[in-house]
Amino acid sequence: MAGPAKKRQKREDNRQEGQMPQKKFYRQRAHANPFSDHDLTYPSCPAAMDWSQHFPAFTVAKAVSSTDALDNDHEHENIQQISQQVAVADIGCGFGGLLFALAPKMPKTLILGLEIRTSVTEFVQEKAKALRNQNGDSGLYQNVSCIRANTMKFLPNFFTKGQLEKIFLCFPDPHFKARKHKARIVSTTLASEYAYVMKPGGNVYTITDVEDLHLWMAEHFEAHPSFERVSDEELERDECVQTMRTETEEGKKVERNNGTKYVVVFRRLEDPPWP
Amino acid sequence: MQHPYQCIAAIESTAQGQASSHLLAACGHRLVLVDVNDSKIITEWFSAISTTNTAEAPENDDGERPKKKQKTVPPVKPANIIKLTVSPDQAHAVAVTDDKYVRVFTIGNGKLEEISQRCMPKRPCAVQVLPDNATIICGDKFGDVYSLPLLPTASEDVPMVADTALESATLEADEPAFKPSATNLTVHTKRNRKALEAQMQQKAFSAKKEPLKFDHKLLLGHVSMLTGVAYASRNVDGRDRGYIITADRDEHIRISRGPPQSHVIEGYCLGHKEFVSKLCLIPGTDLSVSGGGENELYVWDWPAFTLKRKIHLTDEVVNTGESNAEASRQADDGTMSQADSSKKDVAVSGMWIVPCPAAHGGTETALVVAIERLPMLLAIPVNQLGLPRGQDVNITTIDLGHAPLDLACIGDSVVVSLDAREEGQSRFQAIKLQEVQEQGMIGNVRDGEMEKRLACLNSYPTADASLDGKTLDDLLYNVGNLRKRRGWGDSAKEGDDGPDGDAGVDDVAED
Ligand SMILES: C[S@@+](CC[C@H](N)C(=O)[O-])C[C@H]1O[C@@H](n2cnc3c(N)ncnc32)[C@H](O)[C@@H]1O
Repeated sequence: MAGPAKKRQKREDNRQEGQMPQKKFYRQRAHANPFSDHDLTYPSCPAAMDWSQHFPAFTVAKAVSSTDALDNDHEHENIQQISQQVAVADIGCGFGGLLFALAPKMPKTLILGLEIRTSVTEFVQEKAKALRNQNGDSGLYQNVSCIRANTMKFLPNFFTKGQLEKIFLCFPDPHFKARKHKARIVSTTLASEYAYVMKPGGNVYTITDVEDLHLWMAEHFEAHPSFERVSDEELERDECVQTMRTETEEGKKVERNNGTKYVVVFRRLEDPPWP
Repeated sequence: MQHPYQCIAAIESTAQGQASSHLLAACGHRLVLVDVNDSKIITEWFSAISTTNTAEAPENDDGERPKKKQKTVPPVKPANIIKLTVSPDQAHAVAVTDDKYVRVFTIGNGKLEEISQRCMPKRPCAVQVLPDNATIICGDKFGDVYSLPLLPTASEDVPMVADTALESATLEADEPAFKPSATNLTVHTKRNRKALEAQMQQKAFSAKKEPLKFDHKLLLGHVSMLTGVAYASRNVDGRDRGYIITADRDEHIRISRGPPQSHVIEGYCLGHKEFVSKLCLIPGTDLSVSGGGENELYVWDWPAFTLKRKIHLTDEVVNTGESNAEASRQADDGTMSQADSSKKDVAVSGMWIVPCPAAHGGTETALVVAIERLPMLLAIPVNQLGLPRGQDVNITTIDLGHAPLDLACIGDSVVVSLDAREEGQSRFQAIKLQEVQEQGMIGNVRDGEMEKRLACLNSYPTADASLDGKTLDDLLYNVGNLRKRRGWGDSAKEGDDGPDGDAGVDDVAED
């Protein structure tokens, strides 16, 4: 029990708000069970989410009427609105290497990491604050943040239909054993949820060093009628692919160990006409 | 103690020009078919004691096996019936037993005959026969929805050439013979290395699941326990569109297209703050009503994914129910039930649409709601459901004396099975509803005629010396258990997902 409390204490002793956080104070056991209830907080629907907390620089003066069709309860009228929606999601972002590499490359796009582990999420949030502080002049890193979420259950609580242009699934936990395959972040049934939150034409990027998982992800997206595989030639022209290979924490480790990195990208297709 | 009837279903047909009414009633592991016109039991069926070890292996909520290997073999008991439904053409009944079997019966010629039994990978939580009278859809405890042909095809293990089902008959067959999933070269973190070691050591790795040997398709899935599955159709531009609406323990109501495009999610009806346990489509409208762990019902315009309004189950209603419930429990066994601790926790355990003729003679219907363990039903005229927000909806309380377990309509009569456990108590009540002049009020009268016809079910001997209250409670009341124990989260434990090699190892990064 003393563990996390002590860690938090140390964290606080060691830095002030807005200073760069140190990873060693934010380590956490590697796996969280995606099936258990946890003590998660999540909005009951996307309209109930206060994004201004995460992207304060994008806050707009309140003028939004409550006729928003997605605002089911009319309970969310007082939520601060932001000027645009999150368009890029890094699912299982870990310590956020990819997020902080992408943010300055697309400063006009809101990028969000989603991570199930509490302290790891806090680390990314603190790092975003610190980088915003350090880059006050350029205004960089205002467009990146992170939330704690179990994406296997709650993606539609955060994002509306067709909202996301890119989803990254970088070095997901492999869950080697067959009995644990249901815990994998990719399955055909989950692919339907990824498809739901994605804009047709948008891409899901996957990378792993575990061949078995690579084949699994490729097979499951390929089997899903809402996705088509993006050709290798096109991959090589995509800057995101390069960034994902080199900037993720896991990508760097694999690099050092001379491991292989398997990349597959899938494009979200338009929904078919009703039969 | 006598065993209450946990599930009932009406069968009303006009075969050979002759109108007939039957009631199918499940009592523990027994299924009884009653000819309502003749007032007699015509067939009984018993689930056999499973000889195979298909009885639900104890799984905890997380979808994992228990942490410690449970050595105790549970006493072999015949499987209880937990779900019961009838095909739209009234020709077949489908029952789910708690050994995970989906069982199909023919109910032609006033006989009940089991014609197939199929064991699903996880315990089914909801079943329905589609309007084609040929397909069963079945949602399970692990969040998956499958379709099965109502009548199994002649050759059982033809691999399906799926249309666009997400997976076809080869489900789980895609687990090849054991081969380590990574080599030492690819395994770069301490955590992965540990996992691989554990995997190598696991000699019994090949203890993999049997692929399902019958024709089936995986249509869609949630990573959550499903609590409701409903098929809906709507006419758009002169064509019928099918939908599958699914509700889960994590407050979601999802609307997917019907087969063969069930991989397309059209939208969600979101807003619930607690689990959703029941979904009810209002025929002839675009409305649906959902209820669960809150003291409010949600009325949706489901094709638009918007909330029309909520209906507050007034504290008055709920409290009255509670005091009644306590009174009846005390009367029953002289002791207070364990439900006392969850006083304020409403759990909607049933919703049905029943006939409720209007005072002026029109054919109206009412929504009838059961709240787990409360000895009453709540009734709301369907035409009140669409009232704008702010305008109060009249809720009528129908006292029953015992908690309602299931409901079926035979003509205008509403037959309710009751948790009446004492020998000799009436396990059924039949009532007729009528909308009274005053807007939204519902009157009800006992239907003594119908109760007489069902007397054979009441006297059907189901006394069982070994039956105890706890066992019955476990069978009859599991909606309240869907509630999450919030605030118990402990970040120190979050990483812990079991004794397996790939968990619990600190994420020692090497940078
Ligand atoms: C191996 S790490 C990869 C981190 C990062 N993407 C990278 O490439 O460096 C996988 C991450 O996914 C997170 N994760 C696993 N299941 C998740 C879920 N259901 N929802 C959100 N995050 C999850 C884990 O906590 C872990 O941080």
